[in-house]
Amino acid sequence: MVPVSYSVRNLMVRRTTTAATALGIGLVVFVFASVLMLGAGLKRAMGRSGSADVAIVLRAGSDAEASSGIELPAAGLVTASPEVRVRPDGRSDAVGEVVGVLALDRAGGEGVSNVQVRGVPDDVYRFRPSVHVVAGRAAAPGSDEVVVGAAIRGRFRGVDLGQSFEIKKNRRVRVVGVIEDRGSSFESEVWGDIDTVRAAFGREALVSSVRVRLRSAGQLDAFKRAIETNPQLGLTVKRESVYYEELAQGTTMFLTILGLLIAFFFSAGAMIGAMITMHASVAQRSREIGTLRALGFSRRSILASFLFESVVLSLAGGVAGALASLAMGLVRFNIVNFATWSEVVFTFVPTPSIVASSLLFAALMGLLGGFFPAVRAARMNVLDALRA
Amino acid sequence: MNLASLATRNVGRNRFRTALTLLGVAVAVVAFVMLRTVISSMEVAVTHAAHDRIGIRHKVSFVMQLPRRYIDTVRQTPGVHSATWANWFGGKDPRNPREFFPTLAVDPASFLEVYDEVAVSPADRERWLADRQGAIVGDQLARLLRLRVGDTITLSGTIYPGNWVFHVSGIYTATRRSMDRSEFLFHWDYLNNALPERRRDQIGWIIARVDDPSRASGVSAAIDRTFDVQDIQTLSMSERSMNLSFMGMMSGLLAAINAISGIILLILLMLFGNTMSMGVRERTQEYGVLRALGFLPKHIAGFILGEAAALGLAAGVLGLALSYPLVQYGLGRWLEENMGSMVPYFRIETSTAAQALGFSLLLGVASALIPAVRASRLTVTDALRRID
Repeated sequence: MVPVSYSVRNLMVRRTTTAATALGIGLVVFVFASVLMLGAGLKRAMGRSGSADVAIVLRAGSDAEASSGIELPAAGLVTASPEVRVRPDGRSDAVGEVVGVLALDRAGGEGVSNVQVRGVPDDVYRFRPSVHVVAGRAAAPGSDEVVVGAAIRGRFRGVDLGQSFEIKKNRRVRVVGVIEDRGSSFESEVWGDIDTVRAAFGREALVSSVRVRLRSAGQLDAFKRAIETNPQLGLTVKRESVYYEELAQGTTMFLTILGLLIAFFFSAGAMIGAMITMHASVAQRSREIGTLRALGFSRRSILASFLFESVVLSLAGGVAGALASLAMGLVRFNIVNFATWSEVVFTFVPTPSIVASSLLFAALMGLLGGFFPAVRAARMNVLDALRA
Repeated sequence: MNLASLATRNVGRNRFRTALTLLGVAVAVVAFVMLRTVISSMEVAVTHAAHDRIGIRHKVSFVMQLPRRYIDTVRQTPGVHSATWANWFGGKDPRNPREFFPTLAVDPASFLEVYDEVAVSPADRERWLADRQGAIVGDQLARLLRLRVGDTITLSGTIYPGNWVFHVSGIYTATRRSMDRSEFLFHWDYLNNALPERRRDQIGWIIARVDDPSRASGVSAAIDRTFDVQDIQTLSMSERSMNLSFMGMMSGLLAAINAISGIILLILLMLFGNTMSMGVRERTQEYGVLRALGFLPKHIAGFILGEAAALGLAAGVLGLALSYPLVQYGLGRWLEENMGSMVPYFRIETSTAAQALGFSLLLGVASALIPAVRASRLTVTDALRRID
């Protein structure tokens, strides 16, 4: 085996070239990791919004809460189903909410975007224990007070603690608190009193959706059958986690296609970069290679040595790129959900597996890019190489 | 042999490296062109918006509806040439539930007057106007759903529950890019008459054509003022601003794509820089000889920059040559056919092609600046003595 230090020293000697190539690969890895982190962030925002033991009930044919409507008697019937868990106080563990979409001015002053507004009953925090008020306080029931999600706080005019905005002409609501929920899409919503929202959006005697917590996750089929086969209701039942997955489908697909295309083009570019550098490295060192062969190193060790050098080169870039991509964790990203036309804000989420796969990606590009030059080095004829 | 051709000749000195560099840069150029085209295709709606049309919607949110009588008020407003209205129906084809396409309930006669770029044959037009269950379908959508004139199609409503039966009266195309060719348009009367009493006579939004495009903002303001004292207020804006506000919802995505485009340019610089600095380093002795022959430092710098320019230009041309089949005819055609409602026109703009070529040339030259300056500053003896 050719000593490892030989390969590493070679990289050090050609500092500029090494740095240029590694930097190029680093940029590629940076983009690759960022796209993966974006996907993870979106998945978390949508995935954490839904849980497996909760079922969501919508009007048959609706695929989003904002376009659904359930009349109150039907909603009462749904929550009274035997599959629904009952709280210690004797009430069903369920929540009926009104959902609307509100166009708000961006805080920066450029343009308008849509925000989902949720009218919630008083006991909503008992139904969603993971939602916490992190600043200010909860809105008082029956008032014109609202709480806003941490992700949209400050992104729209009037949407911050102590400020107010109009949800209808001459109907201002005051922001008294900020809520957080582990990065779920609830952090991109405004929550107000159910009657206030109902009045603002003209949805009297209706709720948009009913969510129920089942006695166990396995009860969903029984609950679904009971509700959907009742022709008087005209309702549809979905597991909450599935509902959010379907909502995000269009957006996820868009990001996946974009990510795949970017990964493809970028990895091709990075591989070629590594190849150019390694190729030059082999060409310049033909006399050294000849000497090594003359000293008795086998073709195989020459091959291994150059492959190793190439992998070290791209890993150096990979580490730099992966480290830089961790900084993206501080960036908030907003994207419109094509199913609801409202904005979801989420962060780039770095996970150990993303870091690992980025490094693997870098190493693979080094291996592939270094392969042909390394083969060339290994195939060199000793005499020709020494004479060069 | 003149000096320019001498500079260009050096490009062919190390054929293998040049080929790799060209390929690497070409791949990056293709990626750049692809991303720019994603952006320009999303901007189509804005850049090609009709100048003489304004949209009027509910002030709170576009998901809320206006009373039908508003259309008469709009038509009476001075400066308004004609007006029509539409409702977002949100229909889905049960046979292809994953395909998303806009389904609008419109008033056919006035719709065709306001959207005069909708091209439909006189026979199809007559058939549509005469049949209350008739619908016209954009040619892209017709291809996607395999619809022909005379077919019967059942759509399920996500907003208006139930199954709705339509007859395909005609296929339309568009004479300008301001109209999406994947819409499904049917009689508003058909929808309205089927609704329960309390949901009737509600319209989604109004589109008005103004006599004089330069007065569009004045007319918009006048319309909003008229409705300000009524129970439902409106928000009117030019078609361009309306499309711009939809674009605003994508701002996060656009920023990400712009950032990635920037990174591609950096990678280009690295690729060029690596190749050029390697080439210059290898030829240091030759430059010494040239200097000894009487060439001046500016000639040396000229040779190197000329070589870089030739390389950059060649790579840009190659990249563009690959972009058209890959991006425009491959990806573009696929997107137009399958996701026509989101990207109706995925074409490489001339400005994008010019940008790609310009950046390739510019970055090629920029990457050679440092090697060129260094090589031209070397003294003859240093250059000749240098052993690499």
